Amino acid sequence: METHFHAQLEKMRVKVLEMSAYAQKAIEDACRALLTRDSDLAQKVIDGDIIINKLECEIDDMTLRLLALDQPMAVDLRAIVGMMRVSVNLERVGDEAVNIAEKAMFLATRPPLPFSEQLQELSDIALDMFRAAITAFREGDPDLSREICSWDSQCNAQDVKVIKDLVNYMGKEAPAVERAVSTILTSRSLERIGDLSTNIGEAVVFIVEGVSIKHRLCR
Amino acid sequence: MKMYSKSLNFYYGDFQALHDVNLEFQKNQVTALIGPSGCGKSTFLRCLNRMNDLIPISRVEGDIMLEGMNIYDAKVDVVELRRRVGMVFQKPNPFPKTIFENVAYGLRVNGVKDKTYLEDKVEESLKHAALWEEVKDRLHSSALGLSGGQQQRLCIARALAVEPEILLMDEPASALDPIATQKIEELIHILKRKYTIIIVTHSMQQAARVSDVTAFFYMGRLIEVGDTEKMFTRPSNKQTEDYITGRFG
Ligand SMILES: Nc1ncnc2c1ncn2[C@@H]1O[C@H](COP(=O)(O)OP(=O)(O)O)[C@@H](O)[C@H]1O
Ligand SMILES: [Mg+2]
Repeated sequence: METHFHAQLEKMRVKVLEMSAYAQKAIEDACRALLTRDSDLAQKVIDGDIIINKLECEIDDMTLRLLALDQPMAVDLRAIVGMMRVSVNLERVGDEAVNIAEKAMFLATRPPLPFSEQLQELSDIALDMFRAAITAFREGDPDLSREICSWDSQCNAQDVKVIKDLVNYMGKEAPAVERAVSTILTSRSLERIGDLSTNIGEAVVFIVEGVSIKHRLCR
Repeated sequence: MKMYSKSLNFYYGDFQALHDVNLEFQKNQVTALIGPSGCGKSTFLRCLNRMNDLIPISRVEGDIMLEGMNIYDAKVDVVELRRRVGMVFQKPNPFPKTIFENVAYGLRVNGVKDKTYLEDKVEESLKHAALWEEVKDRLHSSALGLSGGQQQRLCIARALAVEPEILLMDEPASALDPIATQKIEELIHILKRKYTIIIVTHSMQQAARVSDVTAFFYMGRLIEVGDTEKMFTRPSNKQTEDYITGRFG
């Protein structure tokens, strides 16, 4: 039986998927702008963030309305709470895309540092994690979600390595310090995207199975 | 464990209304019985203090144990059983007597004559039912002059006066407005400190708000029972989930 409530819930799900498509485009473009030194593309990412923020507000409104008016239970309640968590994390992914784009704009105006391969590797991992998180949400796939969580250590390790190499590089190349710091911040943003993707995976497990696997507490 | 049913079957003539129900009730807990209309909630509740005995064609199989005593045992004094296991009905049903006499009724039936004791007990019961402040100045006016919500709390006071151990409530708030309903729900939270409560409700939200344990019945069978929080956030059974998320039928 398709009730009015369940139609509203489906609308919310579609909105979260729409938001995730914008967030995905934002980080893909931000990474491309960084690696290809494309300031115009970086500017587009910065300008586009407003759409993601607006969608987050709309999803917040839907959450409150559905909770207050329909008093959902069980899987419906978990879906609403879980989707709100997903949207909070998508909004932060959007913010990290903006952070990367800002650094990309600055770096594009200066001579390149020899770190693009390492950054490419890190951004590949972060993007894979994010895309998988969205797939897991769309398909309601807790197994894939758990797999994403297990990739996070790889993402962290790559970030640590990039930062360590950049710190060493700074010691030798004083004029490159400002660029190196920007690149470190970029690496951190990519690592954060991995964390946020993990959070989305955790929300999917919560929606589907009703268990919390956050902070490795209840796994 | 205060009370439990074991392999309980119940028949109205040829019609089997309950199938093999095994359910436990813990002391000082509120258990909510939920399920679609006609699934046997009231029938089950009425088995717990043998109210169904009054239906001539009915028949019970299995056991209901109240602290080691099988309540269907031939030796059981049914009047005493119903004192220990009190009941509050859907529609408030005060007697056409004064407020005082309504509450004193059960005590008088049990042979209490001492005037001071009666007065103390009536006051205490009305206080426990959160009605005292509203009626203390008109104890000797008719109970029928009270609002629906007050009448229902009066019926609760009447049930409490004989010092029951278990309180059965069959949709006690379904005839009441939201404010009166809220008062009954608040009262249930307080009463469970002293009593074991079993409540039938058709409101899932009410079950979620007042109970510790929720039991879901469907077509005369107990489908799932568990902590209320779990039942309403992650039930194990698909039928339970379909029912509480309104996907039934
Ligand atoms: N006195 C009765 N005589 C015959 N059948 C009854 C009687 N009371 C209830 N029933 C039947 O038993 C089933 C369970 O009823 P009931 O316990 O009142 O359900 P619920 O309280 O869950 O709505 C229903 O099919 C109902 O028609
Ligand atoms: Mg009933």
